Amino acid sequence: MAGETKENQAQSGTLSTLDKPKRWDLPFSQDLPNEAERRDLTETELDRLLQSKPFSAMDLDKFPKSLAVRDILRNDTRIRKYRSGDAVVSAGDYGNSAFLILEGDCRAIIEGLDQSALGRTERKRHSVMGSLIKIFNNPKLPEVRDAQHYPQMDNKKLQAGASGNRPGISTVFVQDVPNVLELSPDAFDATKNNVMPQGSLFGELSALGRVQRSVTVVAADPTTTLLEIRWQGLRDLMKYDTALREHVNELFRSHGLQGALQASPILAAADLTQAQWDQVIAEAEFETYGSYDWYGSFQQIRGESVDPLSQEPIIAKEGHYPNGLVLIRAGFGRLSEKNGDFEQTFGYVGKGNVYGLEELLHNVDVAEALPLQSTLRAAGYTDIVRISTKTFEDLIYPGLEAARQRGELSVSFLGEQIKRRSERRVKIDINPTQPEMKADFDPSMMEFLVENRLMNGTETMMIDLDRCTRCDDCVRACASGHDNNPRFVRHGQIHGHYMIANACMHCEDPVCMIGCPTGAIHRTEGEGKGEVVINDLTCIGCGSCANSCPYENIRMVNVRDQSNQSAVMVDPVNARSIVKATKCDLCVDHHGGPACERACPHDALKRVDMNDIDLLSDWFNR
Amino acid sequence: MRTFSSRRTKAVVSSLIVAGFFSVFIYSFELMQKNAVNLSGWILLALALVLTLFNARKKLTYPPLIKSSIWLQFHVYIGWLALLIFFFHTQWQIPNGPLESVLYIIFMLLALSGILGVFVTRILPKQLASRGSEVIYERIPMFVRQLREQAEQLVLESVGYNNSTILSLFYQQSLESYLSGPSGLTAKIIRRDQEYLQLQSELKALHRYLTEEECDIADQLSAIVETKDDLDFHYVRQGVLKYWLFVHIPLTYSMLLFALVHLVLVQAFSIGLS
Repeated sequence: MAGETKENQAQSGTLSTLDKPKRWDLPFSQDLPNEAERRDLTETELDRLLQSKPFSAMDLDKFPKSLAVRDILRNDTRIRKYRSGDAVVSAGDYGNSAFLILEGDCRAIIEGLDQSALGRTERKRHSVMGSLIKIFNNPKLPEVRDAQHYPQMDNKKLQAGASGNRPGISTVFVQDVPNVLELSPDAFDATKNNVMPQGSLFGELSALGRVQRSVTVVAADPTTTLLEIRWQGLRDLMKYDTALREHVNELFRSHGLQGALQASPILAAADLTQAQWDQVIAEAEFETYGSYDWYGSFQQIRGESVDPLSQEPIIAKEGHYPNGLVLIRAGFGRLSEKNGDFEQTFGYVGKGNVYGLEELLHNVDVAEALPLQSTLRAAGYTDIVRISTKTFEDLIYPGLEAARQRGELSVSFLGEQIKRRSERRVKIDINPTQPEMKADFDPSMMEFLVENRLMNGTETMMIDLDRCTRCDDCVRACASGHDNNPRFVRHGQIHGHYMIANACMHCEDPVCMIGCPTGAIHRTEGEGKGEVVINDLTCIGCGSCANSCPYENIRMVNVRDQSNQSAVMVDPVNARSIVKATKCDLCVDHHGGPACERACPHDALKRVDMNDIDLLSDWFNR
Repeated sequence: MRTFSSRRTKAVVSSLIVAGFFSVFIYSFELMQKNAVNLSGWILLALALVLTLFNARKKLTYPPLIKSSIWLQFHVYIGWLALLIFFFHTQWQIPNGPLESVLYIIFMLLALSGILGVFVTRILPKQLASRGSEVIYERIPMFVRQLREQAEQLVLESVGYNNSTILSLFYQQSLESYLSGPSGLTAKIIRRDQEYLQLQSELKALHRYLTEEECDIADQLSAIVETKDDLDFHYVRQGVLKYWLFVHIPLTYSMLLFALVHLVLVQAFSIGLS
């Protein structure tokens, strides 16, 4: 195993030595909250895995020596055992791993499961008294850590649960198991589930796409055994094995498509039969625009005088015939309209939003079709599902109309959907009873937000400079709870009198996670809201996340050793200081929410969800 | 939608109601020929302690206490209320005893610094946002130093063209001192200071003696002067925003100290008299 312990014998001056952290210092099998579950994979287990599919079909010679399949399995996977009814993954959670069924089978519960049945583990937070004591106990120097907890000191001593970042989620027991696990829809027709037999892979969609789990999966056998694969390991396996890559891509597409369609409120409101669903799914097209790792080119062109619109692939063009309903599956789209010789950005669409609905509704049973009223471009990377106009008119529209006539769909539903889920603005007079809805703030602000991809943020730190007295209470509050070092900089891009401070935005699409070799940067699970946090124990200081973050909101810091008079930790091999990535964690370990916002006496600072245009408008128009 | 103006209206109306209640309460005590001064004194002490707690809240960042912005709202309006009660307590007169006089002056200065604080925290941020780029107060001296080095470099460059010393002399005589640190700070609170205007005017006037290359350098020097002026503008305003609390908070603790002495003396005398 890489990263064997070396006691720091040599200490000189204010330096403390510690081996440079490496990717597999803390194997995935040891990174579990429950100590009883932590155990390394045995050589026999590894042999057995290598003899079973899909690993047995892999050409091991294609893998580099540093990334041998055996090592990936040893360090990036763990074997988990579940009882019948245990929830393996829960819908709505963010996941950082995929699962391969080794023994038994599982059920994916598509719908009908009462969420309360899943239970949610309480996040471990500092107590009120603990917070008070911390104020007085904080070391004087910044970034002082307890080096004894780092895996390279002694893997066995590691208290992974103490990191506070990985609350237990593994053994949630789903009530009424026999009912839930019926093969066909149960007696009360309350749940629908899909059987996943031995050998199935699941969870790869959310792990690779950095999105929420779309279904709940429960173990269906008394001795279900799963191989949990950290997404970094899965990515490496896919990189060197074409068959697995193609298999996962196929699963990714089919699961993504199905999940996306069924999660859409518009399609849900149409109340389609299973046969109609199948038809819609069969006829829907799954398209990807832009680049998955868009941040590289974005960082490149940001400094140059390039028209950003020219860099963004067009998904649908203003004036063209609306050939379908576009549903955004992942990423973001920029909405623009012609204004003289130029195009003006007036909005953006994100995950779950639709484009083209107004035009399609208008064009049903109308001789003269209305062309698209705006252009949709991929702002970075956009996954879409396109439902053809014919499918919309034949299947979805009648369903919506029937639901409306039955009184199951309020008259304002479509308008509400347009407001909440679509372009945020209605220009054409499709339904005169609906008032015109606009993003109620300066259009140049909208341009600024899209131009800088700031719509990606779900907890963007916005500062109203007209109210900010530059007192730095926010900075001090942050530092007091984070190793005496603020996790943000009160500095950043400014538009008008609003500043987007350099604080982690907890992006809808956190591209910072893509390159992390150890999974140290991850989304919180269970009780968490999916905040993007860094596990200090598994961070190896490679700087991949900091380099990937398009907003420069992650900083690498030198860490100090608490047990050695707060001396800077140094790798004895190359005499370089040990660095760790740090960023805003939204104070997930504390009560009350982000301290920065609570500490601002002048209502100048707010954490804003850019997807909530109404809230944003309200804040701008206070 | 919750706007600041609606919040202000609600807070002012609520404060007036509370102030009216206290006024009637104290006045009714007077009518009943009870010790209204004693009552207003105790109320004032309680309010002063509540007001002081705001500073404690700022230090306690992590226990889930009420948001600082809500505390500030209470702080401001309770402050106004305390001022009213203070006038009831002093019976709208200036005291004549030495201790009471000092306490009176401290309280008035404290109240004035508080009122000043409310105004500067509402007015100056807007001015800062409207001019120059956003800059962190502690870094301003560093930026000024960089500007000076930049100007020196340009002047040296100008000498190299045709051994002309016009710009270098101008730098030595006028610009060097301007760029050596903050200048005209008091004047900058209200308007652009005379030195800035003078420098810009002189640089413009120099153009007719300069070659084309030197004119370019003069323009760059002019931009440096402009940036320095913006930095001074931020320096003085951010300074006021930071340091008015260095007046308000010591006055608070002085007031509490004197109020405690005042309380002890009043109690001692009242016991002695009885």
